[in-house]
Amino acid sequence: MRILVVEDDQRTFEYIRKGLLEAGHVCDVIEDGTDALAHATREPYDVMVVDRMLPGLDGLSLVKALRSAAVKAPILFLTSVGGVDDRVEGLEAGGDDYLVKPFAFSELMARVNALARRPPPQASAEKTKLSVLDLELDLVRRTCRRAGKDIELMPREFSLLEYLMRNEGRVITRTMLLERVWEFHFDPQTSVVETHISRLRAKIDKPFELPLLHTVRNTGYSLHA
Amino acid sequence: MPSAIFRSTPVRLTVLLGAVFGLSLVITAAIAFVLVRQELAARVDQSVADTFAIIARANTDVDDLQESVDNHSAATLDDDSIYLLQDASGRRLAGNVTTAGFAEGWSTVGSDTLENAEPGVDYRVLSGPIGQYRLTVGTNLSEVDEVAMLMLTALGWAGAVLVALVAVAGVFVAVRGQRRLEQISSTMADVGRGDLRARIHLSRRNDDVDRIGRDVNVALDRLAALVEGMRQVSVDIAHELKTPLNRMGIAIEGAIESNERGADVTPMLEQAQAEGRTINSTFDALLRIAQIESGARRARFTDLDLAPILENIADAYGAVASDNQQSLELIQEPGLPQVHGDADLLTQLFANLVENGLRHCPPGSSIIIGAARQASHLVVTVSDTGPGIPEAEREKVFRRLYRLEKSRTTSGSGLGLSLVKAIADLHGARVSLGASDPGLVVRIEIPVARSA
Repeated sequence: MRILVVEDDQRTFEYIRKGLLEAGHVCDVIEDGTDALAHATREPYDVMVVDRMLPGLDGLSLVKALRSAAVKAPILFLTSVGGVDDRVEGLEAGGDDYLVKPFAFSELMARVNALARRPPPQASAEKTKLSVLDLELDLVRRTCRRAGKDIELMPREFSLLEYLMRNEGRVITRTMLLERVWEFHFDPQTSVVETHISRLRAKIDKPFELPLLHTVRNTGYSLHA
Repeated sequence: MPSAIFRSTPVRLTVLLGAVFGLSLVITAAIAFVLVRQELAARVDQSVADTFAIIARANTDVDDLQESVDNHSAATLDDDSIYLLQDASGRRLAGNVTTAGFAEGWSTVGSDTLENAEPGVDYRVLSGPIGQYRLTVGTNLSEVDEVAMLMLTALGWAGAVLVALVAVAGVFVAVRGQRRLEQISSTMADVGRGDLRARIHLSRRNDDVDRIGRDVNVALDRLAALVEGMRQVSVDIAHELKTPLNRMGIAIEGAIESNERGADVTPMLEQAQAEGRTINSTFDALLRIAQIESGARRARFTDLDLAPILENIADAYGAVASDNQQSLELIQEPGLPQVHGDADLLTQLFANLVENGLRHCPPGSSIIIGAARQASHLVVTVSDTGPGIPEAEREKVFRRLYRLEKSRTTSGSGLGLSLVKAIADLHGARVSLGASDPGLVVRIEIPVARSA
């Protein structure tokens, strides 16, 4: 993937660049908001990572300007202020996701991956069935089957599985699950995600030979064959 | 300095008041002068008409008339009055003036047209026929002018005394007002220099200056309490961070030692990382509370249903509870009204309360979320059958970083309830803690949305 990182803190962008290069991506770093606007309207990127606080043009204005210049690449905001307002403002300005500093690189990578493979809005509406190996999810009839056997899922387990299946093969972090499945924009003090994952696992994996739902140590989960 | 004095409000008011007084005095005097003069002139006319009637009544006999006019003339002092009796041809028969004649009826004549008259004084004259003769009676207006003059003098003196008194009183009030204002200003200067105990001295009069003074004092009390609170919080934060920082230091030191021995350092570094996360989450929670308290979130409030929020929480934590051998139940009245608020924050509020229950209650406990409408409020209670909170501690648990002594050793930042309180305050909701025998009941009363 070709990724643009707009960040003025050297330690942060070195950390991000190193990680992205190791993961096999192409990464450009621009430290100034105004330069980034000029550059990003010319060059095609798969994903952009934009810090909220930038010299020149601040991150919010940069993203607004990019969106009005019809730049459609998904954008991940970075911020050091862990506020809910910032998240909403960022999304309203045209950002697609939001990550609060300090963050683990695995969290950033997981989110960048999820953004990059996000299908265009109209395409996602057409898909009514998801499948991974012998696991099938019918989004219209709200049913789940594995190896021809019906599996009864609670509504929240269904959304959890749907999100994991849509991101088949990608690492999904605990925070991403909390945000997408439960709309929790805070860090719970109890093991909400772990509990629900283990219940889901008991239903879709335990009775079968090959496990599909994998734990990625220190990061999150991934569903794949 | 003189210009400074003139800029002071009391002095300016005094000068203004004095000017208004003086002006109104002049206007009043002018009106009184005109009215009195008119009244006196009317009386003079009356007296002239009376005299004319008395002489005329005598009869039409020319000798009697002559005698009467002569008598009146003789009785006149200082040429105050004029009398004239003429025959049809205008020849003077009697009287104290020699003028050829006067216009018929009322007229005012100057003394220059008369002989034997007081100079510079006007006369009011009535002239009319009596049979074939013609009688003229007049009186000078000097008395009117004298009375008017007297009155003007009196008003002038009264005015002077009044203005002098107003000036003295004004200066007195101005100086005193100025002194009180200066006292307020010097108190504020003390506060500005950092002395938060300085207070404005109030008089017993309870006037407007005292009212402002009292408001300022109340604001200073609150400010002092806030500053004290901040100071306390900074101390608490420092203490709160010392533990994880210390542990982190130990872990890193252990890692260095292990590294020198060639042993695996991963577990120790992971421990250091976990401590770093703890520190970060404490800061996150503090920043979040501060952000919520700033009130900016209110701009994003919408009317929303609490039911799906509570159902989501019951669903998310129900599984956690049963894994802990606890139970979580949601009991809500159907058709709950909407509230005006922020869904993300309200989710966090109730999640925090439920998590508190889950973390502080032993296995076998049950936690119940109840929601019902009570008049203009939606009341949500989160009750548990755990150890509860002693009554004396119930107010303190909302303080930042406060933890019950016995829960010092358990995890948690001590910020959960402060966050709950901050979110509730933002929504205009009341939070109260009570006992549920055994256990704790947290009661949140949220005003229902205006449209509901």
